Order: sequence, then C-alpha cells, then structure tokens
Amino acid sequence: MYNFLFYFLIELIGLFYLILSFSVIVIYFIIMILSALEMRDYRRKNRFADYEDIITSPIAPGVSILAPAYNEGSNIVQNVKSLLSLHYGKFEVIIINDGSKDDTLTKLLDAFELQKVSYAYNPEIITQEVKGVYKSQNKSYRRLTVIDKENGGKADALNAGINISQMEILACIDVDCILANDSLTRMVRPFMEETNRKVIAVGGAIGIANNCDVQDGTVTKYRVPQSTLGQFQVIEYCRAFLMGRMAWARINGLMLISGAFGFFRRDLVLKVGGYFPKTVGEDMELVVRMRRYMEEKKIPYKVSFIPDPLCWTEVPEDVDVLGRQRNRWMRGTIETLQLHRKIGLNPKFGILGTISYPFWSVFEKMAPIIEIFGLIYTLILLIIGDFSALYFVALLFMIYLLSLLVSSFSILYEQISYNNYKNKSDLKKLIWIILIEPLYIHPKVLLWGLKGHLDFIIGKGGWGQMIRTGFKTAEERKTIEAQAEKSL
Amino acid sequence: MKRKLLLLIFFLASFSLSFGQEGLLPFQDSAALIQELKLQEDIPSFTYRFFIPKANKNSKITSDSSFLWVETDTAFISKSFKNGTLIDSLYGQLQGNSASILFFVYEEKTNVEGLQSYLETMYATGDFVLAEDKEQPENDIMLLASSNNYQPLDAYKNRLLGDFKLLAVTLIILFFIFTAASMIIFMLIFKSQRNQREENIKNYENEIIGPLTNLLFEKDLDEISQMSDQEISEIFPRSLFKKRLFKQVLIERIIGLNKKMKGEFKDKLKTLYKRLGLVELTKANLKDSRWDKIASGLVQVNEMDLSELINEVKSYTNSKNFHVRSLAGATLLNLSEKVDLSFLKDQDYPLSDWQQMNYLRIIKFVGSSKFLNIPILFKSKNPSVREFAIKMVRMLGRVDLIAELHMINEASMEEEKIELIKTYDALGAHMEVEFINNCMLSNNPDLKKIAVKAAGNLGNSYSEVILMDILLQNIDFRLRRACLTSLNKLNTQTFEKFVATQPLPENKALKAQIQDPLLSNV
Repeated sequence: MYNFLFYFLIELIGLFYLILSFSVIVIYFIIMILSALEMRDYRRKNRFADYEDIITSPIAPGVSILAPAYNEGSNIVQNVKSLLSLHYGKFEVIIINDGSKDDTLTKLLDAFELQKVSYAYNPEIITQEVKGVYKSQNKSYRRLTVIDKENGGKADALNAGINISQMEILACIDVDCILANDSLTRMVRPFMEETNRKVIAVGGAIGIANNCDVQDGTVTKYRVPQSTLGQFQVIEYCRAFLMGRMAWARINGLMLISGAFGFFRRDLVLKVGGYFPKTVGEDMELVVRMRRYMEEKKIPYKVSFIPDPLCWTEVPEDVDVLGRQRNRWMRGTIETLQLHRKIGLNPKFGILGTISYPFWSVFEKMAPIIEIFGLIYTLILLIIGDFSALYFVALLFMIYLLSLLVSSFSILYEQISYNNYKNKSDLKKLIWIILIEPLYIHPKVLLWGLKGHLDFIIGKGGWGQMIRTGFKTAEERKTIEAQAEKSL
Repeated sequence: MKRKLLLLIFFLASFSLSFGQEGLLPFQDSAALIQELKLQEDIPSFTYRFFIPKANKNSKITSDSSFLWVETDTAFISKSFKNGTLIDSLYGQLQGNSASILFFVYEEKTNVEGLQSYLETMYATGDFVLAEDKEQPENDIMLLASSNNYQPLDAYKNRLLGDFKLLAVTLIILFFIFTAASMIIFMLIFKSQRNQREENIKNYENEIIGPLTNLLFEKDLDEISQMSDQEISEIFPRSLFKKRLFKQVLIERIIGLNKKMKGEFKDKLKTLYKRLGLVELTKANLKDSRWDKIASGLVQVNEMDLSELINEVKSYTNSKNFHVRSLAGATLLNLSEKVDLSFLKDQDYPLSDWQQMNYLRIIKFVGSSKFLNIPILFKSKNPSVREFAIKMVRMLGRVDLIAELHMINEASMEEEKIELIKTYDALGAHMEVEFINNCMLSNNPDLKKIAVKAAGNLGNSYSEVILMDILLQNIDFRLRRACLTSLNKLNTQTFEKFVATQPLPENKALKAQIQDPLLSNV
C-alpha cells in the first residue's frame, strides 16, 4: 500500500512539474506577445507627442522630486545640480539627508548656500525626527529644499519628503541616479493623457550606467559593463523593463515600480499612508497598497510604464553586494505578498488579485523553492531507479532553450526599439552571457533567493508580526504605526 | 584504440551475459535435463532424433514407417520429433537395438551442455517454462503475482504518460528551435531592411534637399504657383518620385522645414506641397484604417494648412482613438477661419489634460488673430469641457469674461467651482468675494482650501471672520496653514492677535513659517 502511495506521489509531483514547465512556457510567450504589442503602440503614440509643450504649459502638473541621501558626500553636490537642471517648468527638488554619518549635509549647505528655515513640519505620515529644513538664499536654487533627519531608512526618508512636498506628482528616485533632461516631461505624460481612468503611478525603465560615458548628467555612449555579473544585469534589466513591465502595463497588472525611478500621485500616496518603512520592499508594497486602495474604493485606475531609457544607475558588480541586493528583493517580495495576502485569487481585486498576485506568488516568490525541490525530486527519481535520462535531458534542453529565447527576445527588443548598444562586440558579449546565464549565473540567483526565504523565516529585517498578519485594508497602514507607538 | 574499446565492450558484454546465465535452471545433471524434456510437448526450435548403429540392424525396426529411418554409412537416423512426452514410448519401441537419442537446436546437432545452455537462454527470456511451473493450479496466480516486484502504474505510465510527456517536450523543443530560427531570420531581415531603408532615406534626403533649397531661394511664391506640370515633374527624378518612401521623406522634409521657417518660405512650402500632389498621399492617410496613419494625415493637414480637407478632419473630432481626436481638434483649431470651438462643446469624451494643453497652445497662438468664442463652452454638457473653458479664461487673461463666469457660479459642479475660484484669484476679481466666502464654508475639502487661498487676495472683513471660525475647528494641518497665510495677507494685525489668543503649537510654528522670508513661496 505504502509502495503504491509512494509511486503515486512521485507520479503526481512529476505531473506538477510538467504542468509548471508548460505554464512557464505559455506565460513567457504571452509576456513576449503583450510586450511587443505594448511597445508597438507606445512607439506609435510617441510619434505624435510634442514634449516641448509640457515644459511651459500651465496645465502640466507640478513634480516634487524626492531623493533620500545616506552617506552620499562624495557625489551629492554634482547629483543635486544635475537634478536642478532638468527641463521642466514646475518642479521642486527635495533632498532628504537620512542621518548621514559623512559630510553630505555640510557639502549641501555650502554648495547651495542653504539656511535653516522655520518650516512648520507636520508629520502627516509618521517619520523619524526631522532636525531641520533648509532653503537657499540664492534664487537660482529656489527649487531646492533639504531635510535633515534622524536615520530611518529609505522609506522613512521618502515619507519625510512626502510630508513637505507641494506638487501633485511625486518623483521618488535614488539620488545617485542619472536622469535624462526630458525625463520629467516623458514620465508626466501618462498622468495627463488618461481620461476615463486615473493614472496613480508611472514607472520608468532603468539603464545600467556602469562603463558608460556620462556627460552633463546624460549617458552619451553606451557600453556593456566589463564584468560578467554586470553584463548579466543588462540582460536582466532588458527582460524586466522592456518585456515584463511592458506586458504587465498592457493588461494594467503592474505590481512593481522601481524605487530608483517611480512617479506617484501625491494625494493618493497620502491617502494610503505613504511608504511602509518596516519592509525592505517598500517600492513594491506602496504600488500594491495604492492599487488595493483603488480597488477597494472601486475607482477606475491605471499604473503606467515608460520604456524609454530615462534613468541610469550603477549596478553592483561584486558578487556579495549583488547577493545581498537579491536577498533584499526576495524578502521585499515575500513581505509585500504576505502583507497583502487578502487580495490573492480574490476576484474583487480584478487583475491585481486574479493574475498579478498569483503570478508573483508562484513565479517570483516561490521560484527558488520550486526549483530546489525539483532538484531533490530528480535525485529521488535517480535513487529509486525511475529516472528517464532521455526525458530529463529533453526537459532540461527545453527550459534552457526557453531561457535563450526569452533573453534573445529582450535583446532583440532593445536593438529594435533603442539600439543603445551599437558596438558589435557588446552584442557578442551579451549573446555569450545569454548562453551561459542558465548554467553559470542562474544557480547563484537561485541561492540568493533561497537565502532571502531563509532570512524571512528567521525574521531578519521587516516587522515580524505585522507582516505575518497583513493589512486588513489598504488604509490600515495610516493608523498602524500610531497604534504601535501607543502600545509601546 | 577504437578497436580495442569495442573488444573491451564485447568482452564485458559477453562476460556479463555468461555470468548472468549461470544456474538459472534447477538441473543437477543430464538425467534431470532429459527428465524435464520428457515433460515438454513443444520447445521452440528444439527437435530430437534416434540413432541405431548399422551393426545392430533390425529389418523389422528399420522398416517401421513411423520413424522414417534414413541410412548413412555407419547408422540409421530417424526423422525429427518435437514432442518430448513421446520419448519414452518411442524409445520403448527401439529396445534391444542399441538406440540412442540425438538433440538438435535450430536443426543443428548439439550435446547435453549445448541444449542446457539453450534452455537457460530461453528460460531467461520467458520462452521456456519448466513443466512443474506449467502444472501449477490456476488459483495460485495471485501467489505468483505477489512473488514479483510490484510496480504500480508502471505499464500505464510507459504507455500513456511517459510517451505523452516525451512527445510534448519534443514538440516544444521543435517549436522553440523553429521560433528561435524564425526570430534570427526575422532579426536579420529586419536589420537589413532597416539598414536599407535608412540608406534609402539618406539618399532621398540628399536628392531632395538640393532642388528644394533652389526652389525656395531662387523662385518666389508666384513663380512656384505658376510652374507648369512639366516643370513640377522635373524637379525630382521621375523614377524616385513614383516611390512611396521617397514621397514620405519629401513630406517629412517639407513639414520639418515648414516648422523652422517663417513668412513667405512657409507659403512657398505649402504651395509646393500641393503642386507636387502630396495632398493625395495625405488624403490616403486620412482614409486609412490604422489610427497612426490617420494621425499622420492629420499632422500633414495641420502643418500644411490643407483647409480643403477640413471636412475629413471634422469627422475625426469625436473619434474613439484619443490621439486621433486630439490631433483632429488641434487641426480644426488651427485651420478654422473663426475659432468658434463648437466641436469642443459637442465632445462626448472627457478632455484630458494633455488635450487641454495642446488646445491651449494653439488657442493662444491663433487667439489674437481669430475670433474665439469661449462662452459657448460654458454651456457644454461635458464637464471637462466646461472646466477647460474656465481655465482658458484664466490662462488667456480674459477679464472681459468674468461677468459670463459669474452667471455660472451657482450652477457649477464643485470641480468647476475650484477652477472658477482659481480664475477669479488669478484675474483679481474682487467682485466675486461673496462666492469665495460661500465656498470657504463648503464641505468639500479641496474647494474649501482653494477658496481659503483666494480669500487671502480677494477677501473682505467677512472673510477674516470665516477664516478665524475655520481655524477654531479641528482642521487638517494644510488647511490651517492656508487659513493662517490668508489671514496674514488680509490683515496682519488680526493674524497676530489670533495667534496670540490661540497659542496652539501648530499656530506658533505656522506663524514662524509664514513670516520666514525664505519660505514665502511655500
């Protein structure tokens, strides 16, 4: 009897993996098709858009650029100057010094002739203590505001920025990002275009600046990074931004906007209580909470995505740093899904609950677990002698080919749409990485993901109990910290 | 080396074969083997014959037709027999003739060891079953089954699932290879086509720029208008002019120049556009089913002032496609002799900020030279159009329309009231203070906040009272800031007095902020 059950279970697991493999294939093909359609439409629309108008139009919304800075003393002045020179009519730059231990604040005070002002800071969203708000005496820097506060992490710093922001749109960025001069005009456009649905957030594609030439805050010559890990991230970013997010944007299922470059409607961010500082995936969590709020209130909405390369950042090329980053991303994903598990498979939440959430749960969160379990399953088959080498090799070959196809498609996409990597040797390097990625880099990504799971289980970071319980409603976040403080 | 390897494999294979065969059958000696043969009716490819030396010849025996003896030099050999159970009876008939038995496998003579080896092989493959096993009663079949290793679903899996999975995987692999190959081919074709197209565009631009510059600088507008068809057709090589891409490049070039140039040059370009027959291409674009082609056509109509196509443009002002109806609206605004804005009034779709921005730019541009009938929009059924009309009054500085706006004060929706107050504030409409004061008492927080801000510039003594009333309520921080700012603007003494009598920490903090010169814009 047990013998029968054992073999029956083995058969069932085999069937599960078979269905999963086919699902992966079907989903990736759907993603490829959707992203191609979205890119085609986007490029067609772009032909008729005149971005010059937005710069001076009184109808264009104002933008508050929020950039948290922690120990950024070496480049802060150059970065802020670059932000202040963006081509847009109505914008302010808010730099939040998040308790830096270096000379970040001093450099800012000196370079921009800043003076402490009597700003009546009102913590609409609770944050760590704000020590001071600074404005410049020099009118050239009238757009700049600097907040000095106790260290509380990126989300907490952004919340402080949100509290004093004045404009309708919030642009949350990393201070070390390089923004294209026309980045604001392009990112603001979706907010201005929609009529039937409210655009609540717009995400932007991020380019990799390692090894590129940068002049006056703009990337002038693209080159792929020199290290294998850097090159791998170029492919990964193409896959994520040009394919994944474009496809999700097509069906209005975007759940993640990169924390390095995301635009949000300020009134809505305040309504849902700003960033949740107790999770390491604050960017994803905010988008999910905003979407959840709109679904709960039954207000038609949209989360858009702009695929143009408007923001560049340096990616980690060191294996340890990259590992820590991926570990953090995995924990952020788990925490966000955990916080909002109420929406999973719930048709009340539309695409978010029925498609986006289950996809993220299975193919992002559970992917490392499923993969490692698949390896164990293969070993068991080997041990009991029920292992078909032919079937194994064929399945392995199939998944390897899928990986090649998807990666090649994303690079082809980049070539057709933007053609930034013009050098043939760069293209050859990328093709080589596509070939070795499943065998050389993917196992590392798998291990980092598993480590993320482990760290989540042992409670590293995050807000343990709260994350495990989850939010009952999107608005609960507004009161949760106040309650927590009272209980202390 | 290869040969050695083959030998080694052969050796190993034969070793394992012989090793595997040892002792499969329970025969201790040849007698046991013969005993077994006597119980077998039919062993595949096995026969036996009888043998009698000639010296023992017995004519009675040798003439027995049941043996069909064949005479050789030394003996008589019987025909072949297959049925082992007959051995004893046949042998009995030959007693006293020194008869012996010969074994044959595949008609080849063999000895006892050879026969045993053959039976071993047959036994291993299941083609030979021991007589005692055959004689097991039928009801022992369950016991037999239980003595085997049980492999559930094994046969089922192999026949259905196993094959199905492998088939599916194989099909997918083939599909991937096909897709990958298609993608590579597509990439190559696409790249070469794009390169070719870019090369052609570059060549066409070189072909276009010379004659076009000559025409613009050497001929005046009348000369271009009066050029004969013959002369026109000779401007560009005929073979090129037939090509659609060439015409597209030409259109883009003319439109590009038109955007950069001013005065008579613009007129020359427009005349040339018509004389070259490019309007036909524009017409074709307008009739296309693809929205982006229609949009291209609309851009061409707009840039080249093709007012003869205005009816076609009008048909798109209420198009389902956002871009088409936006461009159609912009084109109409640009080309209509009087900007009566009636097409906007009748818009079914809400106006987006993007459309408003575009329309405002054009209206600002043409407003000085054309009649602009903004009040018609105040009566539109579309709220977004009414809001846009109010915004236009503000952004165009049309103080003359304040009286018209006043008429819609009370009937307006709250979003419109917000725009009305912003407009009154921007235009300094002090006469609307009563409306502003009423709006300060609204329950709509956005409307209240805007009214409070406007009261700072346009308010009166009653506004001060309302502001102080609001400040005494439990209100949010931003509204409190707006109230105190407005109160300070209206009457600094009242402001100072209020903060002194209501020394809440937020009032004090806001007073410091309001009075900080560096924060005057916050």
